[in-house]
This record gives sequence, C-alpha cells and structure tokens, in this order.
Amino acid sequence: MNHQISELTFLKQLAPRFAILTPEFIEWPAQRQRIQNCINKWSAAIAKPDILAGGRGKAGAMVKIDTAKDAIQTLQRLSSLEFKGRMARTSYLVEFIPTTYEVYTAITYDSRFLSPVITISLKGGVDVEQIKDTEKKTFPIDIYKGLDVYQAGDILNSLGCPDKLISPLARAVVNLWDLFITSGMQMCEVNPWRITSENKAVACDFKAVYDQANFKQKNPGFDWPEYPENISEFEEEMNRWNNKSYQGQAHVSDLSGKGILPLLFGGGASTIVIETLIQNNGDPMFLSDFGGNPPYERMYGTADICFKHKLADAKLLLILGGKANNTRIDVTFQAIADALAANAHLRDGRELPVIVGRGGPGLVLGVTAMQRALDELGWPYAIFGPDTPISMVAQYSADLYNYLTFHSQKA
Amino acid sequence: MRAKTITDLLCKGDRVAVSNITGREANKVTTITQHYANNIVGGWALGKGGRRIIVEKNISIPVFSDYNELLEKLPEKKWPNKIIIYSPPEAVYGDLKNVVNSSAENVETIFIITENVSVEVSAKIRNLCNEKNIDVLGCNTLGVINVTDHVRVGAVGGDQPEETFHPGSATIISNSGNMVNTMAAYLYGAGIGVRFGISTGKDQLILTPLKDILELVRNDKKTKVIILYIEPGGLYEQIALQWMKEINFHIPIIVYVGGTIADETNLSLGHAGAVAEGNGTRAKEKIELFDNYFDFPPYIRGKHLCRTKKPTRGFRIQALHDLPDAVRALYNKLEIDRDYKHYKPLKLNPWLKNMGKLAKTLSPKLVISDGIIPASYKKKFSYVLKKQFGKVITSRNMKNASHASSNDGENPRIYGEKTTDLMADKSFEYSLILSWTGYPPSNEFETELVKQTLVAAFTNGPGTISAQGAKLSASAGNNPHTAMIATLATIGSVHGGNGSKATEFLMKIFANSKLVDPYNPRSKRIVDKAVLDCVKKMSKAKQMSKETDIPFEKVPCLGHPVYRNNDVNYDPRERIISQYLEKNNIYHAFFDFYHQLAAKMKKEGITNNVLAVNVDAAIACIWLGICWHLLFEKKITVARTKNIPFLAFALGRAAGGAAEYLDHADYGSAMDMRIPVSECEFLNLPK
Repeated sequence: MNHQISELTFLKQLAPRFAILTPEFIEWPAQRQRIQNCINKWSAAIAKPDILAGGRGKAGAMVKIDTAKDAIQTLQRLSSLEFKGRMARTSYLVEFIPTTYEVYTAITYDSRFLSPVITISLKGGVDVEQIKDTEKKTFPIDIYKGLDVYQAGDILNSLGCPDKLISPLARAVVNLWDLFITSGMQMCEVNPWRITSENKAVACDFKAVYDQANFKQKNPGFDWPEYPENISEFEEEMNRWNNKSYQGQAHVSDLSGKGILPLLFGGGASTIVIETLIQNNGDPMFLSDFGGNPPYERMYGTADICFKHKLADAKLLLILGGKANNTRIDVTFQAIADALAANAHLRDGRELPVIVGRGGPGLVLGVTAMQRALDELGWPYAIFGPDTPISMVAQYSADLYNYLTFHSQKA
Repeated sequence: MRAKTITDLLCKGDRVAVSNITGREANKVTTITQHYANNIVGGWALGKGGRRIIVEKNISIPVFSDYNELLEKLPEKKWPNKIIIYSPPEAVYGDLKNVVNSSAENVETIFIITENVSVEVSAKIRNLCNEKNIDVLGCNTLGVINVTDHVRVGAVGGDQPEETFHPGSATIISNSGNMVNTMAAYLYGAGIGVRFGISTGKDQLILTPLKDILELVRNDKKTKVIILYIEPGGLYEQIALQWMKEINFHIPIIVYVGGTIADETNLSLGHAGAVAEGNGTRAKEKIELFDNYFDFPPYIRGKHLCRTKKPTRGFRIQALHDLPDAVRALYNKLEIDRDYKHYKPLKLNPWLKNMGKLAKTLSPKLVISDGIIPASYKKKFSYVLKKQFGKVITSRNMKNASHASSNDGENPRIYGEKTTDLMADKSFEYSLILSWTGYPPSNEFETELVKQTLVAAFTNGPGTISAQGAKLSASAGNNPHTAMIATLATIGSVHGGNGSKATEFLMKIFANSKLVDPYNPRSKRIVDKAVLDCVKKMSKAKQMSKETDIPFEKVPCLGHPVYRNNDVNYDPRERIISQYLEKNNIYHAFFDFYHQLAAKMKKEGITNNVLAVNVDAAIACIWLGICWHLLFEKKITVARTKNIPFLAFALGRAAGGAAEYLDHADYGSAMDMRIPVSECEFLNLPK
C-alpha cells in the first residue's frame, strides 16, 4: 500500500524542511488557553479533521471557529469523524489566511508525457474536478533537470499570473518540486496557495501519495501517520503478510460480501472475475490477486489467512485464474488444497461447493491435487481448464450461489 | 520510436541478452524461450560470470559477470540488439544505464520485465532511452511474442507457447500479461491465430504507449484485427483514439475494457493521479471513448451484428467469453478469411467434477454435463491419474516446519497424535507405523508383523558386517554413540538395502495391476497372473542373455541358498512371519508372490537353485502391505515407501549393533579386533 499523508503531517514535518510557508496550527488535543491565544492572534481559525478523504469542505467537515469553546467542541467532534468510509486520525485548528487570490498546483507523473508534470490553475480553492480544462495547464518537467524558478516563472506567466505574484509563487512551486522529488512521492497537491497581502504564497491544504517502490520513501524522517482505517482484520492481516515478501502477490480488498469466497489469480483475471460476480449478484467477499508465482509457503500462508477469516461463512469457494504464464499451478494448488484441508474444520461439517478454473504450468498435477483434497473433504466440486473462459466460470459460480442462497432461504 | 514496423520490435534473427539471467524466473523463462525461439545469445548476473544456463544436453547459454564482459567475450556478430531486464527493482536503472551507455548503437529495444520499479525510475528510463533512440517496453511487461516468426522475449505463452499461440491474423495488445495468453487461447477456439502478442505492462507509466504500438501495427499486412485488453489508468487510449480518428486507422479492433469495479470502489488506482490527468482515465470513460470511436454498438452475445452497417473500426465486447463469437462475427461481416477452419464455441467444460448430492437438488440449468479433457491434456491426465503411483509432493522450505512432529508447548505430537496418548494406549510398533507413514495402521495384525521384522533385523550373527562395525568400534575404545554410527555406517545398499530394491521390484509389478487390497484373498488371481508374466519376462531375458552374454537382472531378495539340495528352501526368520500369517488366516499378496516366484523360477529352469525368500524380502513385503492403500490413495510417496524397509532394517540392526557393542565393551580386550600383520596378504597389482 502506498503511504498517504495529508495537511497536518505536511504542516508538522515537511513544510518547515522545504521552506514552504504555511499557516500556523495547533493539533488537538490542546489546552484551552493556547487555543484562545491563537484565536486572538489569528484573524480567523478553521477546525479540520486529519483524514485521508477529499471534499471535506463541501461535507461540512471544515468549520470556521470564533470562540475557544466552539473550537474545543468542534475539534473533539472532528477528531473522531468518519467520512467517505475513512476515519479521522485527529483534528487540528489552523490559521485562516485571507486572500483574494488562490492557486492550485499538483505534481504527478503523467501518461501523456511519460514524465513528471506540474499542473497549475489560477482558479484554486475549489475541487480540481470543478476547474475547467481551459483554466488549468499541465507542463512536463525534465526528470533529470527538475523544475527551476525560471521555468516556473514562465509557466505562471503563460497562465496570465499577475507579475507581482510570479516570483513568490515560482519559488513556492520549486520548493514543492524539491519536496516531491526528494521524498519519493507519486503525487502531491497544494490546493490552494493563498497569496497574502505581503505577496507571500502560503500553502493552505496539502495531500500526497508516496510511491511504495521508491527507495526514497523508506526513510521519510518521521513516523508514518497511522490512520484508523476502516479496514477489516482480514485486510490488516493480509496486508501485513503481503508486506513480508515480494514473492507472489497477496492483495485483497474486503468487499464485505457474504457469498462467494474468491481466490483469484492475475490482475486482469481478478478484475474480470469480480466484475462478473458483482454483475451477477455473486456477492464476492473480497477482491483478490494472488498471482506472481508464489512459492508453496507463500501461497499456503495467503490461503490460510483467507480461510481462517472467511471459510466458515462462505457459501461457495471459487478458485479461479486465467492461463498463467509463470505461476506454477501444481505448487499453488497444492498449497491451497493443504490450507483448505487444515481449515476445513471451520465449516463444522457443512459441505461447501467449490468451483475451480485455471490454466498454466503444472496444471494437471495441480488440479489432481485439488481434486484429491476435495474428494477427501467430500465437498461438491467442478474443475475447469483453460478452455473454459474465466468469465463463464465466474458467471456459473454466481448463478450457483444465487440458486443455493434462494433455496436455503426457502428451506 | 526507433522501430518502424511491428517486426522491428521482435523478429527472427534478433539477438537477445538477459540481465540477471540466473534469477529464479529469468533462468526458467530463458530456458523455455531458447527451446521455442533460439534467440538468446547470453546473459549476465552479478558474481555468476563463467556459468552456463543449461537448455538441454549440449546446448547452453553463457553467463557473464556484467554486460561489458558479455560484449567483450561475445563475437561482434552476436552482440545483442534486444535486451530483457530481469534485474531486481533496485538494480534495473543501473543495468539499463550500463546497456545504454555501452552499446546504444546496437541495442534497439529493451524489455523490462521487473515489477515494482518506481515511477521515478520509469520516467528516467524513458528519458534516457528516448535520447539514445532506444525503444522500451515495460516496466512490468510480460514480454512479446511474434508467432509468425516463432520467437518471443519474456514469458508470453508460459512454458508451452506453442500450445496457445498459433500463427494467424490477430495482434493482441494487453495491459495484462495473463490476458495475452488467455485471449490467444479463446481466439484459437474461433479459428483465429495470433500474429503478435504484446504485453504493455500496467505500471503507472507505460513506456511504449498504445498509440506507438498501433503505429507499428498499422503497416503490418499480416494483422487483420487487433484485440485489446484495457484497464483503468492513464490517457493512453484517449491519445491513441484521437490519432486513429485523425489518420482514419484501417485495422478493426475488438476491445475489452476491464476495471469498472475500480471506478466505483477506488480499489487499485492512484485516484489523485487520475484526477490530475483529467477525464479519460477511468474504465467507464474509456468505454465511452471506444464506443464513440467505433460508432458501432457493443457486441451482444447471440445477437447478429447490425445489418445496415459494417463494423469497419470494430466494436467492444462486454464479456471476455464473447471474444470467440465476436471475432468470428467480425471476420464474417468484413469478409476476412479465418486462419483455421475449426470452430469450437466456448462453453462450460468441466475437466473433473463431482457435485455429489448437490447435483440432484440443482435446477437443470445449473447441472453441468460431463466435460471433455482436450487431447493435449488427456495424456498427462492419464499418466497422473493412472500410471503415476503414490503421492506427488510439491517441494517447500522445510527449515522450521515438520509434518512428522510438533510441540505446542505442552504435548509433543507425532503426525498430530499426542505422544502421551500413544505411550498410554498404543504399542511401539503402532507409533512407528504412524511416525513413518503419517497414518495409523489400518489392520491390527500389522503391528505384530512390524514387531517381527524388527526382531528379525537384530542380528545375523557376529560375522555380519554391521555387527563387526560395532565390535570394531568397541575394540577401539569408542563411546556407544560412535559404535552406533559404526553399525549404521556399515549397512548400505548391498547389506540391508535389498529391502528397498524388493519394494521397488514389487511396485513395478503391481503399480499398474488391479491390486487394491493385498490382504484380500481374492487378490490371488492378480498375483498368479503377475507371477506368470514375471517368469515369462525372465525367461525371455535369460534367453537374450545367453545370446548377448549380458547378465539379466536378478530378482532382489531371492537367494541365500543355504539348503541347496532341498526341495523347499526357506530363510527361518521369514518362515516365522509366514507361519504367523498362515496361522491367523491372513492372505498376503506380496508374500504369496515371492513364494510362487521362487518355486516357478526353479520349475521353469530360470535358476537351478532352490531360492529362499530372505528376510529382507519379508521386511519389504510387510511394509509394502502397510503402505499399499496409502500409495493407492496417493497419500504417501513412492520414495518414502522405498525408504521404509531399509529404515526398518536399520532400526532393528541398530538395536542388534548396540547389543554387540555392550557385549564387546564388557568382555573384549583392547584392540582385539586387530588382524595381525602375519595374517594380512600383500597383493601385486594385476598387470
């Protein structure tokens, strides 16, 4: 999982290091007197939750504060806010910077240029999706040379930025570039930069996504903020397991389904299968991708976690992937079969229909191992080869699940 | 791009070099590729210079310590023009930079297979290669296959590329490597072969974007249709479609866009990146773009294509399994000849199924009829299901793991059974069978038989080599454990190992017979036939041996003709076991076989001696009897079954050796096993 940070971490850790001007702030919990002092000192104050979700303003999760009493009540409330399925880590009070001029900037990598780009709009302060294409511009940045203040100035100039703002804004976006490229980020966004009456560019909101594959993000110089993600124990355990090794993939995303337990292989196949299951009311428990040729013990561990958490409640087990190029089917299927046998007691004697579909190296050994395990368990099964399309197998599984559910309800 | 046509990307005659060639995946894929394409000139791996990747007997690929050494040592005509990068993520940039700096003028294309390369490094690679006019595919591509030229780079097609990829008129371009293979298989079912299969990779930056690949395919006369598998992320399709409209791209396309689930759940995409790039990155937006380009409704299974219009630009399919029908419909409509006459519509074809009681409760729609295993797999299945005997094991790291024993902190266990329970309720022999096979004995008498074999193995007198081993050790003043080592060190494949050979011999005869239960008297029919067949074979072999002077293979564990002139010749220890079986009315197929075989061999004149079934054969028969149903049910391996009789002998003999040591240590004088010089003979080397 790529690390993400939002404004509070930026205010505390990154902005001072990269000489980026920011408003003053206080992190909750804080003493009443300190809050009062800040409110007195600042022209206005805004309470915000520290949460990894956009659109807070529109949702009323950013509150203008007038008194210390208001602040304490609001900060308390926002610190445990749940919004768009995400949960706040804490809350903070930040100085409101009055301005008449707001600028949007984002630095990311772009498929049009195959390089980093900076996107700038002089219509900042609103959601970027609301900015018209004609009002924002994207410029490629040479990955080796980086962004210098003259280039930044030219870009701002081409957008029609007032002359007096070009220099402070250009210096600010160059600092932002330095932050982006030296930290191993995949994307960072300041929206908005607010220009003070002294013509200073102040970064008033921030978010960033780091690139997990970039070695620079391995030691960010601070502890990664831990957001109380609304993720299940199953996802948490699988994420820990996935992070232990690069061998094979162990990606899951809990869909809170109650029907089909899907062990899927390959990014493309997983996507197609889950889409088919959802379209046909298969109610998949989670999205998974367990490809990447995992060795036996990796695959066993992955399957074991799935079964430990989900086997007892599953209505149908689906083991499905396309025709593998690299992944050894004999190894992966033997591991799944062994993990299934080890966890079968969780079913308390209830049989579970199993649908299997796969192709690739070691297929025959793999499916015969799976068949033996299923015969021993005495569970009903159907095993398909690569001549039956995965989407058809997925559709059949969904139909079978629906039939079984309907009839068990009737009974 | 440097390439001007699709064949510039990969064709016959290309010389391919592989980075990190000795890595787990690179090594395997390289070997298969060399079989298929014979296009790899060498590879390099840090610290592995001088090795060779063995492809097959007399064919190998040289490994160099780095790319520069590869250039130094390979003749110029073998210098690579295509490079495959299999280096670990942190080494990709260094390896690639070295290649680019050392031979930019020779290298035309670099394929980066490595996953988890950072997007920053990807951008640098693109920049670097662009400057030097080198094409890059990846990162995280599975590779490319040129089916017409029978060449590939990377792992497209897995370990049997010919099984899926048949030459033809469709070029597949896919964000997913697996889908290249899967879609090629579906196309072949519809009678359409593949011209090129291209895995673009699906990292955030796809370094050879769709438009660039389409520009290459555009002039390829052999490509009649393009099959696309597209996932969310990036504006590659928007750019490509815009260009295609502008130039009036003439090759029809069938596209499947996956990943609408990601639009709704934000599961796998860097949403912020997509937002910064604007509209056109999500699956639903890509679907709209394609439908708009095609100006033709998406394919609906079972419905005819629009009669009034020709799908000259192609159309979108909404389910992957619609591909064969859709491509066939497109070929018909555009009057393109299919590559192959056959047409095998896709359907649910279960290779193996047992829906048990559930089948009876299902609606007819859900009952799937028995499937047909395709001919290409049938042979393998019949081998695995019928001929392959015993369990096939998948290797794993066993460093800190054991099936045989465990300890939860309170109870040590043998194959899950508490040692304390075994101590309280079961015999040593019961525990031994559990411990060695992983399963408890299935018949009570088996523990008694095992006991007898253990006692029988104790000793064959002080002259036996293993007893001598213990005595020599005692005589030298060694501790007991050294004497145990000496005893065990003096048994081997000839002394004690015959039991394993007998087991192998019996398995060879009975593995493919109908023998299910060796204790069932009805099995006698099978045994009688096996004896006749075996004697017949030996008779033939003996005849051949006479003519060719090559000795024929002897039956293991038949021998020890102590009572040469008797009509019946028995090893007394084996007799005790046989008598136990007779007394308890237990039929034992393997004992019966051995006894009959000894008698028949004499009768048919294969031997002049009356052969005895020795105690090693008895041990082998007993343990094979115990293991037989486990082998049949594929619960234990053939190798384990072969090893057990030897271990049974070793276990008994270790106890016997201990007895010799204790006796000798008590009563023997120091160095009494020494042979005086006067009794040793000097021999001249024969000349």
